[in-house]
Amino acid sequence: MATLIFWLVVLVTVASAIAVVTARNILHAAFSLCLTFLGVAATYIFLHADFVAAVQLIVYVGGILVLIMFAIMFSSNVVEDTAEGRRGLLALGAGAAGMAAVFAAVLLLTSRLAEPLKTANPCANVAYAATVSVEAGQTGIGHCLMGPYLLPFEVVSVLLLAALIGAVVIVRKEVR
Amino acid sequence: MDLTGLLRAGPDALANYLILAGVLFACGIFAMVSRRNAVGILMGVELILNAAGVNFVAFARFGHNKIDGNQLDGQVFTLFIIVLAAAEAAVALALVLSVFQTHKTIALDDVDEMQM
Repeated sequence: MATLIFWLVVLVTVASAIAVVTARNILHAAFSLCLTFLGVAATYIFLHADFVAAVQLIVYVGGILVLIMFAIMFSSNVVEDTAEGRRGLLALGAGAAGMAAVFAAVLLLTSRLAEPLKTANPCANVAYAATVSVEAGQTGIGHCLMGPYLLPFEVVSVLLLAALIGAVVIVRKEVR
Repeated sequence: MDLTGLLRAGPDALANYLILAGVLFACGIFAMVSRRNAVGILMGVELILNAAGVNFVAFARFGHNKIDGNQLDGQVFTLFIIVLAAAEAAVALALVLSVFQTHKTIALDDVDEMQM
């Protein structure tokens, strides 16, 4: 049963991702992107990463997607970006995507995924068992963020502030 | 593992997640190259970031890092990726709106001078 649902999720994700890329109407592409984000969130749940799935839902579907919709509707003639005069670009895109896929496949086939990693692990002291409970995972992430990853956490918060101020400054009309 | 084995394993095989992430990544590259609309290119970037996030969480779950039995670093990295994607989207869409105000278009073929 879980396997069936998993493949359903993968099918929806891949199909909507392809629709994002090929849709002629950019607004349709944005709606497909919503399905893709939902599928990726479901994939996170299959990976026992409940908190990441929730964050994905809130930030991507609730935030970024709404921003994208706003940008589409504020700017432009929505029905643009059609196929005529785009054949060369499409071929180029197919070539680039194919090369990326081949590169990823070669990396996968030649890498030795089964070998244990020998690197140091910053979250080593955080007590956590992935499959025990949801709360354990959330507590572990909290301890990770407030412990070994405290500096990146703070830097990211400053970066968010800077990005928001920058966005406001960029779109602001000049006042003389 | 062969194909039927992967099909039967479903959510319990690392390779399935890697293949999914690879497809998402390829779609993102395709969008970045073939779209002319700036927002379309941004969507491609979001797809690529999602693929990276799936890879991080998949390796956090299945990676054989049993030295200390911890599997959370990948999830924390994915959280950072999501936050950075949000910041990037905000700035990029602000740029798109700004370009639209000055050029009346966001087709990147037509926006090729730096001066306004």
